Amino acid sequence: MKKTLFLALVLVLAMLVPMTAMAQATPLRFMYYIDASQAGYAEDQAIWQKFKDDNPDIDLQMEILFNEPFHEKLGAYIAGGNVPDVIYMWPSNRSSSAILHQMHLMKDLTPLMGKQFLANFVAPAINPKAQPSGYLAELPQSITYTTVMYANKKLLADNGFALPKTYAQLKAMVPRLKAKGIQVITLPDGDGWQMQSCLFSTVVGRMLGDGWVDQVIKGKAKFTDPGYVAALTFIDTMFKDGVIPRADMQLGYGDGPTLFASGKAAFIIDGDWRQGFYITDKSTGQALIPLDQQSSDFAFINFPAIPGEKFPGVVSAIQGVGLGISAAIPKGSDKEKAAVRLLQYYYSPEVQKIKLETGAFIPSLKGVTSDALEPFTQMMPKYYAGINKISYVLDGVLNPGVCNNYVNKGLQEIGLGNKTPRQVATETEKAMADWRATQ
Amino acid sequence: MARTIHGRSEERLAYWTMVLPAVLLYLLVLGFPIVISIILSVSNYNGGKMFGGEPWGIVGFQQYGKLMRDPYFWSALKNNVYIVLISIFGQLPLGFIFAYLIYRKIVKFGDFWQGVLYMPNIISVIVIGIMWAIIFSPNGVIAEIMNRIYAGSISHQITQIFNAAGGFNITDDVVRQLINASGPVAGQTFTDPPTELKEFILTYDPNNLELLKHDLVNLLGTKWTPTFLSKPDIAMLPVLFVILWCWTGLYLILFLANMQKIDGQIIEAARIDGASEGQVMSRVVLPSLSGVIVNAAILCIAGSLNSFALVFAMTRGGPARVTELLSIYMYDAAFFGTPNYPLANAIALSIVILSMILIAITKLVEKRYGGRE
Amino acid sequence: MPEPLQNQPAKRVVGVIGKAVSYVVMGLFAFMTIAPLVWLMISSFKSTTEFRLNRVGLPHIWTTINFPGAWKLGEFDKLIGNSVIYTLGATLGIIFFSILAGFAFAKIKSKATPILYGSFVLGILLSIQSLMVPLFIEVSQLDRLLTDLFRTLGILKTGQVNFFYDSRFGVLLIYIGSGLPTAIYLSTEYIKGIPYALVEAARIDGAGYFKIFRWLILPMSVPIATTVAILNITGLWNEFALINILVSKAYLKSLPLGIFRFTSNLTSDWGKQFAALVIGMLPMLLFYVGFRKQITKGVSAGAVKG
Repeated sequence: MKKTLFLALVLVLAMLVPMTAMAQATPLRFMYYIDASQAGYAEDQAIWQKFKDDNPDIDLQMEILFNEPFHEKLGAYIAGGNVPDVIYMWPSNRSSSAILHQMHLMKDLTPLMGKQFLANFVAPAINPKAQPSGYLAELPQSITYTTVMYANKKLLADNGFALPKTYAQLKAMVPRLKAKGIQVITLPDGDGWQMQSCLFSTVVGRMLGDGWVDQVIKGKAKFTDPGYVAALTFIDTMFKDGVIPRADMQLGYGDGPTLFASGKAAFIIDGDWRQGFYITDKSTGQALIPLDQQSSDFAFINFPAIPGEKFPGVVSAIQGVGLGISAAIPKGSDKEKAAVRLLQYYYSPEVQKIKLETGAFIPSLKGVTSDALEPFTQMMPKYYAGINKISYVLDGVLNPGVCNNYVNKGLQEIGLGNKTPRQVATETEKAMADWRATQ
Repeated sequence: MARTIHGRSEERLAYWTMVLPAVLLYLLVLGFPIVISIILSVSNYNGGKMFGGEPWGIVGFQQYGKLMRDPYFWSALKNNVYIVLISIFGQLPLGFIFAYLIYRKIVKFGDFWQGVLYMPNIISVIVIGIMWAIIFSPNGVIAEIMNRIYAGSISHQITQIFNAAGGFNITDDVVRQLINASGPVAGQTFTDPPTELKEFILTYDPNNLELLKHDLVNLLGTKWTPTFLSKPDIAMLPVLFVILWCWTGLYLILFLANMQKIDGQIIEAARIDGASEGQVMSRVVLPSLSGVIVNAAILCIAGSLNSFALVFAMTRGGPARVTELLSIYMYDAAFFGTPNYPLANAIALSIVILSMILIAITKLVEKRYGGRE
Repeated sequence: MPEPLQNQPAKRVVGVIGKAVSYVVMGLFAFMTIAPLVWLMISSFKSTTEFRLNRVGLPHIWTTINFPGAWKLGEFDKLIGNSVIYTLGATLGIIFFSILAGFAFAKIKSKATPILYGSFVLGILLSIQSLMVPLFIEVSQLDRLLTDLFRTLGILKTGQVNFFYDSRFGVLLIYIGSGLPTAIYLSTEYIKGIPYALVEAARIDGAGYFKIFRWLILPMSVPIATTVAILNITGLWNEFALINILVSKAYLKSLPLGIFRFTSNLTSDWGKQFAALVIGMLPMLLFYVGFRKQITKGVSAGAVKG
């Protein structure tokens, strides 16, 4: 008996981790979101290392996760009541950010960062009304245009087509391109959110407008209204006309750009964040689309005119992701000052320039330029400049339950041919009515 | 009588010393969380800090009621039932039969088979998920093979049609034949196939028939799409097959290990008496393993109802939730969008209740039909 | 009586068909196992650009460029050690504590047994997925309590107690706890099969319970220990959901978490992803290939005679 007990004790002691002593520096817990296989990862890590080196009085404890593990961990932190000090957040009710907004768990950055600091950003980025919390809970590092039609204009020209301005022109491309083994548009919707986020939101913005969406949330309009059914029907039409293959509803998100870059699809509809996917990855020196082809062979265009649209040229856009500061930090404390310093560093022109150059995003900070930009990254701001009006992205304004389970899934089912637009509209309205009743 | 030497107190001390570590660990790791889980499932906890945050309280069994009325719950349950069925009636018998074959050396290289069939257990589910995507993707391996077959078939037909027509001779009849050969495809691409297809073909250079034929294959050929993966029930078939492949090896090892404990002489005696392998398997080996089999069945049931990682990695419950399992539904409720912990925990407890029912049934079956050890 | 001669040929045909079918089915399963692994390893030797154009075939250019990159980015050197500690430590812990408790449940009479043993059996039905968040809250609260306690007692002036959360010890505890229900169920059933006469004889000879455990039960439990090990080892090695919740510090993380950093579907770097997956798989594969003999030996060694 003695031996066993002794052994057990040894086991316990051997595994015991000594208690941590507090460092002199101010500890700052920072939860960040990036994947090691993304382009620009090494540069990103260097950014944080520099902050650590330059700020020895701050003990920056970074926890870097991605996808599910990130959302799960943050969910656990929130439930456990120890929200990290600085968090990578979405401006909308996306996953883990939802509770942060709804429960006002983050500080209001408008007074904290100061008007002078914020004046350096484009106006839509610092608009607090765009965030579910009603105040600026996170500082968007970019304005994300969720609909960009990346076009292979060389491929089109080779087949005798110009860039389309109307849907009819798009439709006319189908036979000729199909005969060459090329699909007109690829929109990978295997994960279920891309169709809504990257196309349908724009369609709703064009055919119904933000005002209507506001009414639907209040209950003064319904998803069964003819206008919404028409919007769904337009998506259905695109599948029926062969403009988007039904197979794309099961295509993985990573497969789309490959199709596009290899010339198997003439257009890919994706968000503006994707342009970084095609440029040179500095760690390997390879680019999905070679530099010399980027501007000569490709173009970013707005989605063509939709029959029956009320608001031509509208594109769905939303504040981008960014960093937020936990409301649990005592006002005026060293920790708060450290957090502010971290944000000031991250949102400084130098750091934002690095992000711009790695193709991560187009900063919302004004005046960030670089000579080292690849053509794709230069083409994107020009695309923005050509858009006169933006509309909601549906997953940013609708409650997640209805959006994920009825709007997103409904679009997939229309694409797969399993449900009709009217069916989807009816089911969506029913779920929405249930949700309205709980408000 | 000998017990008087040491006494009950020593016995009790020993008992508790041996049991306490396990009990403490159990309380720590499972006990406390399960209590919280039960409480949450009957509460109106809304996310945010669980203790010390906004107040929340017990509201009753509304979540369970909601669950009963939720069609997604029932479809997820159905999928779980499929998994239970394939596990009990697929993995166990197959594992048993394989184990028997190896044990009785009916198949050679038993060592190799044993090793290889158990290997899927070692592979991380992430790998399996990637493989699944590569194989079933519309761009994947199956797609490539099927599309080549389709292309070959329609290419053949097109060649025949043009040969019969004598080359680039585009009559209405030729067009009609082409449309028929393509099945539904022509109608999907053109609104008015006879006219439009003819117009289209006439844009081609008459001297380049090969180019026209090649392009017509693209235009009129069927493209394989994994539509079966989007239909409820049918979509589960490949998933079930992967599950079968993944876990059978585990039961093979378990059964084989226990078979090797059987006294070989009993088997020899049976064979000398003229029993066939089938009879040996069912009359001798099966009964002596009945305890192990029941244990395996219990593990199987618990595992099937809790099954998460494998299916999540392959299909994530999709597309459009057709392959969703109870555990995936629960996961989404807890971590996707606004967390709905009451719902998630209600689902978790439903799984427990269902497992208990199934295991009770298993135990009943064992009492009725069980053999001697 | 020997089988009538007429039936022999029929039996032989059935036998041959049966054998053929067996080989086919097993072969199919084996193929399904080996092919993806082989494909994965081949793909890890392709550069990312090559992979994009050539997904299924052999690489035109064999390159090992992916591995150093993946190894460095994933910081796998730190992670492998952790995975070994967690997997081995937890497995040994599960085996030890389950056989200990199994012995008590099976061989010592006590009124508490039905309740305790019953709760363990119920525990088999619980999935750790549903318990992640309460578990997290519990361990972080426990640490907070301990910190407060130690501060009051003056043992600790500043800093945090990381006894359960963010500690190797905590991870081991949780892993062991999660494997206990099944292991206790199996061990108890197994030990029930050991004749009480043996224990009684030892008691008569004056042996204390722990001596009996060490010298009688433990050696005889090698088969069930092996079974428990088989059931737990691969699961623990590949486990990522729980440990993600339980640790934040990078140097405490295990291999699967390292691999997870490469699995986004925004990935542009297939090469590194595959290299990371191969790195993740190799240890388990090598262990399995290397120790398989030991495992089968262990199972048959404990065979009870008579």
